[in-house]
Amino acid sequence: MVRFENVGMRYGLGPEILRDISFTLDAGSFHLLTGPSGAGKTSLLKLIYLAERPCRGAISMFGRDIATTPRDELPALRRRIGVVFQEFRLLDHLTVFDNVSLPRRVMGESEGHYRAEVEELLSWVGLGNRLNAKPATLSGGEKQRVAIARAVVAKPELLLADEPTGNVDPEIGGRIMRLFIELNKLGTCVMIATHDTRIMERVPASRIYRLAEGKLTVAKAHEFMAEAKRA
Amino acid sequence: MSRSSGLMPAESASGATLHTIVAVMSFLACLALGFVLTLGRLASEWTEGLSGSVTVQLLPSAQISADDQVKEALRLVKNWPGVFSARALSRADAEKMLEPWLGQGNVLQDLPVPQLIEVTLQPGPVELEGLGRALSDGVPGAHLDDHQRWNAELAAFATSSEAVGWSVLLLITAATLAIVIFATQAGLQAHREIVEVVHMIGARDVFIANEFQRHFLWLGVRGGIIGLVLAAVTLVGSSFLMDSREAPVGAQYLPQFVSSPLHYTWLLLVPVMMGLIAMWTARFTVLRVLGRMP
Ligand SMILES: Nc1ncnc2c1ncn2[C@@H]1O[C@H](COP(=O)(O)OP(=O)(O)O)[C@@H](O)[C@H]1O
Ligand SMILES: [Mg+2]
Repeated sequence: MVRFENVGMRYGLGPEILRDISFTLDAGSFHLLTGPSGAGKTSLLKLIYLAERPCRGAISMFGRDIATTPRDELPALRRRIGVVFQEFRLLDHLTVFDNVSLPRRVMGESEGHYRAEVEELLSWVGLGNRLNAKPATLSGGEKQRVAIARAVVAKPELLLADEPTGNVDPEIGGRIMRLFIELNKLGTCVMIATHDTRIMERVPASRIYRLAEGKLTVAKAHEFMAEAKRA
Repeated sequence: MSRSSGLMPAESASGATLHTIVAVMSFLACLALGFVLTLGRLASEWTEGLSGSVTVQLLPSAQISADDQVKEALRLVKNWPGVFSARALSRADAEKMLEPWLGQGNVLQDLPVPQLIEVTLQPGPVELEGLGRALSDGVPGAHLDDHQRWNAELAAFATSSEAVGWSVLLLITAATLAIVIFATQAGLQAHREIVEVVHMIGARDVFIANEFQRHFLWLGVRGGIIGLVLAAVTLVGSSFLMDSREAPVGAQYLPQFVSSPLHYTWLLLVPVMMGLIAMWTARFTVLRVLGRMP
């Protein structure tokens, strides 16, 4: 569902921070994107969720070549992607419920249509009693779960999470990972950017990608493991 | 939230600033508009010579006694078509009128002050030239002062003031446009995060633009109404002051600001314009910001 071919990216006139990136993400697969801080993990995710454009190479999303897709057809593609941003990016003036409902509202659904679903989702992530709280009153872990709930509320085919365990203690980090695994089992393709090595042992990653110096490589040890399993 | 409250924060610092700026600009625009409309009305009234009153001067004459002169003149004037009323000013009235120039005292007793008749006209055209001729022919020493020269000068003054007023109004409109556009853009800058997040969540540009333009339309209209109310209080207050007894001599002859319902309708347009300016600026700016995003 996602295909990158020799993609390069730079910010403005700066140096190319991603070079010759090629990979594919298949429906229902689970991926980790690792690499040191500043390697370009966030930038690569931005390319996938269509917030940045590549300076060269070809990106195809859900079978559409991004370069030739008219701008007004991109929102429809974005709605098939859920994103947990590194800094959450919750809207401070909206309640937890309204933040989480946002993707459904943007699709033009009425509140009566999604209210029960959003409430159910929020109690599933343990925030059933914080529906009307504003983000400013939440702890880091609670914000994280609101951000995740917003990312999955529209049942995306592809879920991208940027350092989702970066700001929480290992206990909550483990619960969040179990949540992603659960969603993956239900058919969502998941890609998690992280430099948290503890995560890597916990997840059934189809592939572990490693970004360093602008290049993407498939982590060798895990490919070994995967091949061993397949054999 | 509920759908009706929209994506935008109900109140914010930038919103308060924009409110204030729009209110001040709309206050100035209303005052300028009130000024221009009043001058426009005066200019046309004065040009048509409908000032509503004329004066008959009676100079002492050897051919007729002072009392007969007044009686004759009053009779002639009162029967003239279009005259509403005529009243001979008493000596006390004359002294009171001249007091600012001559001071209190018995000066007038020794002076041959002309006797005056104040004539109030009915609205509509009145044959003043004929009345003037009839008076000079029929009553020795009588002379009609129809304020013609005075009117012509006033009309010229009003017309040129009106032109100045329009230029002021034009300048205020241009400044208002610039300031409201600037303030709206500053307000949007504060909401950039909303634009970006909602965009990345998959909102269409028009969805975002509609949310913003609705927010800024009401912001502009609310600010505009505050300015309009302040301006109305000022205009009505100034008319009231002029009518009151403490007003300076002659102030009652100054025009009242904004007299007809039509004028109020024009003033009501000011908040509407403010709202529309803020709305279109918001829409244009949001669409431009979004256009730079992939
Ligand atoms: N908006 C931006 N403008 C310019 N440079 C950026 C921007 N965002 C990130 N960078 C640069 O791109 C590089 C990769 O950053 P990022 O993708 O955030 O890495 P990571 O998520 O792996 O820490 C860094 O050198 C960073 O300074
Ligand atoms: Mg990052």
